[in-house]
Amino acid sequence: MAAVDIEGVRKVFGGRAGAVEALAAIDMTLAEGEFACILGPSGCGKSTLLNVIAGFEDLTEGSARVFGQGVSKPGPDRAVVFQEASLFPWLTVWENVTFGPRMLGRPKPETEELARRFLGLVGLAGFENHLPDQLSGGMKQRVGIARCLILKPRVFLMDEPFGALDAQTRMQMQELLLHVWDEARGTVLFITHDIDEAIFLADTVYVMTARPGRIRSRIVVDLPRPRTIEVLTDPRFNALRADILHQIREEASKATRAFEEEERARK
Amino acid sequence: MAVAANAAPPALLGLAIPAILVAVWEVLGQTGVVPQGILPAPSLVAATWWDWAFGARGMGFNPYLGTWAETVLFSTKRVFMGFLTAIVLGVPIGIMIGWNRLVAGAVDPLIQSLRPIPITAWLPFSIAVFGIRDAGAVFLISLGAFFPIVVNTTAGARDTPKNLIRAARMMGASERQLLLRVVLPNALPSIFTGMRLGLGIAWTAVIVAEIVAVKSGLGYVLWDAYYVGRMDVVIADMISIGLAGFISDRVLVAAGHRVLHWKQFGAR
Ligand SMILES: Nc1ncnc2c1ncn2[C@@H]1O[C@H](COP(=O)(O)OP(=O)(O)OP(=O)(O)O)[C@@H](O)[C@H]1O
Ligand SMILES: [Mg+2]
Repeated sequence: MAAVDIEGVRKVFGGRAGAVEALAAIDMTLAEGEFACILGPSGCGKSTLLNVIAGFEDLTEGSARVFGQGVSKPGPDRAVVFQEASLFPWLTVWENVTFGPRMLGRPKPETEELARRFLGLVGLAGFENHLPDQLSGGMKQRVGIARCLILKPRVFLMDEPFGALDAQTRMQMQELLLHVWDEARGTVLFITHDIDEAIFLADTVYVMTARPGRIRSRIVVDLPRPRTIEVLTDPRFNALRADILHQIREEASKATRAFEEEERARK
Repeated sequence: MAVAANAAPPALLGLAIPAILVAVWEVLGQTGVVPQGILPAPSLVAATWWDWAFGARGMGFNPYLGTWAETVLFSTKRVFMGFLTAIVLGVPIGIMIGWNRLVAGAVDPLIQSLRPIPITAWLPFSIAVFGIRDAGAVFLISLGAFFPIVVNTTAGARDTPKNLIRAARMMGASERQLLLRVVLPNALPSIFTGMRLGLGIAWTAVIVAEIVAVKSGLGYVLWDAYYVGRMDVVIADMISIGLAGFISDRVLVAAGHRVLHWKQFGAR
């Protein structure tokens, strides 16, 4: 059974400014344990697609299934890592990480053991009593990852989780994520703007078209794992990057042209 | 940059102008330029206050001897009860209005249309319903404090970041847990702002209510002393009201800092 099965998903936002078709007809299947990255020009509907799978947005047409179950509302089987971490600022690191299990009424000893384990795994042992505002951006994101791991989700959904970090920290976080994924496993859908990041992390890269979003291509990244920074200099890496870059450029210029036409039509 | 203007002023600077005013007032009183019956000198007010606070009861013709503490207590108790009622009603109602559009549509118009009516305008209504009793005062106080609390709670609940709500839902929070664990804590800073405003109004309301609708407390003594020409008591009473308001606000702020300790970090 597919971990994530998206069939003919269309999403239209209604609004006072008129309807916006964010997703046209998305088809996509992620196998269990697959690490998939989505790339695409800004505004093409990447976040919308992730939000549909997370259960934050309902879809206009089509179906979204996770392990055979139709998505209807958010739940701990689909953990989400947000771009701006979105931790509860009034809770300590420990309380943020144990929030989910507490809401779900999971047994306390198990929760505490898992919290210790995952805080250690993301390198935050010793920061249990810190408040989010006392942490750096990278550390906040690690808490965001730990609070997802503790849910024991079947799918991880990540919407540009490292987009706001500096290049150095971002690289560290990418390595950390692969390390964590090695331990925790699970299916990952990871959205990014950064082609290198996508190739470095993913088994498969999906390139989306300009809005309304469709899947333009699916590229298999056949670089060996475990991957380290060295992979960035691999010739296969460069070939993949050139190919994807070319596709993104095309979509981006389509997006610009569409925008200009809309502008002209308005005048 | 005017560095001097940004530097912390010496602690005593703020006392200079009041000290000068008190000195001038004393001179005016002592020399008889202003009659003692209108503006008694500070020294007289201080003496009166001392007797009011520490005098032996029932001595002579001064009905105020030794009654200060109980007078303050009467008013404080009413403020406390009215304020507590306002919190108990205002916070849950505000959260519900901020959270649920249906509740907002049903309740908000009523609140917004009642809000512009000043509490003083409610006096006859309050006396008609509750008579000259404590309940009337408490009603006016809670009414006055209710509006700033409910309005600020609504605003605080309404601006809960969308992603915090999504995060909580994704971690399995029920609607009830969402309200108690996310929306309420997010609204707390606003709730405290509303409570401070409400507490100020509560002290205004208690004085008004005691002048008109009950026969004890700082408001009652204020008006009673004015009627018998005891301006020294009036002024001592006014200062007592100011002090009580000031101290209760400080207590509230201290409690707020405790509850909102997480707020002191970060730039927001
Ligand atoms: N709640 C909404 N109401 C109306 N339109 C929306 C809403 N959310 C997104 N859209 C529109 O849908 C389109 C896709 O948005 P989405 O956020 O999914 O893009 P994205 O690919 O994630 O972009 P970015 O890379 O900039 O994050 C955009 O045109 C956006 O304006
Ligand atoms: Mg996005």
